[in-house]
Amino acid sequence: MKYFEDVEVGETMRFGRYEVTRDEIVEYARQFDPQPFHLDEEAGRRSMFGGLIASGWHTGAMFIRMVCDSMVAEAATSGAMGFDDLKWLKPVRPGDVLSVESVVREKVEGRRPDRGIVKIESRVGNQRGEVVMSLVSLVIYLRRPAGSA
Amino acid sequence: MRYWEDIDVGETTALGTRAITEAEILAFARKYDPQPFHTDPEAARRSIFGGLIASGWHTCALLMRLSVEAAQREQAAATGSPGLDSCRWLKPVRPGDVLSGRTEVLETWPSRTKPIGFVRRRVEMLNQHGEIVVAIVGVTMYRRRPVDGR
Repeated sequence: MKYFEDVEVGETMRFGRYEVTRDEIVEYARQFDPQPFHLDEEAGRRSMFGGLIASGWHTGAMFIRMVCDSMVAEAATSGAMGFDDLKWLKPVRPGDVLSVESVVREKVEGRRPDRGIVKIESRVGNQRGEVVMSLVSLVIYLRRPAGSA
Repeated sequence: MRYWEDIDVGETTALGTRAITEAEILAFARKYDPQPFHTDPEAARRSIFGGLIASGWHTCALLMRLSVEAAQREQAAATGSPGLDSCRWLKPVRPGDVLSGRTEVLETWPSRTKPIGFVRRRVEMLNQHGEIVVAIVGVTMYRRRPVDGR
């Protein structure tokens, strides 16, 4: 298990592979973000985006899925307080393949003795190497329990 | 149509209300955020949260849904967002919670290069106890009123 004590500032991780499909973009948008450029190819073409694009919140959801699949199992994390400075930099389109690069920026000792906050900057990139979304997550890491290795 | 010019600093909007069910929490989490305290009621009871809680990304998605519905009601010429300054998940969201949204306009400024303007807002979601469960500060883009528009 990787505890708060084991995390080092500057640590870099590359992970994830998420194939974005048209059906999933539309399904997410119908549920949570029913704006025309997320729902309909033709409406997307007429918008400033020039085609169907994923909801930014959907990109966030795909990001957290990649995080869960690659890191959460070995990390003593307990969710996140939130995030700062989220940027939606490029549209995400059907057929894009996303992956993540994360860097540990800062460790913050919290008020509670059993956990700390780790600020992790992540960049979600597409298959052309363009960054489509970036954010700084405030991840809650548990501290190593006394007496454990 | 409500354009960038029609949005004033200080204006507040109630975004409507919706309940969240255990089935919705499980379905979202299994697809996007499969951590035990979001996907497994028994594991959640043993976690620091003491019971099943919604993914924060699910709570944000519901807040987005309420925001989009409000924008469509007022026929806002909204055209997406470049990003968010901050998002804080302040309280757990649990099955059966009844969530309502509210927003306040903090700042507006025009684009120098495109016929759009920007609006910075605080957007919050509260539960049935009046507790703020998520607080976001973010920016939305709006189209400018056409020169011959009304």
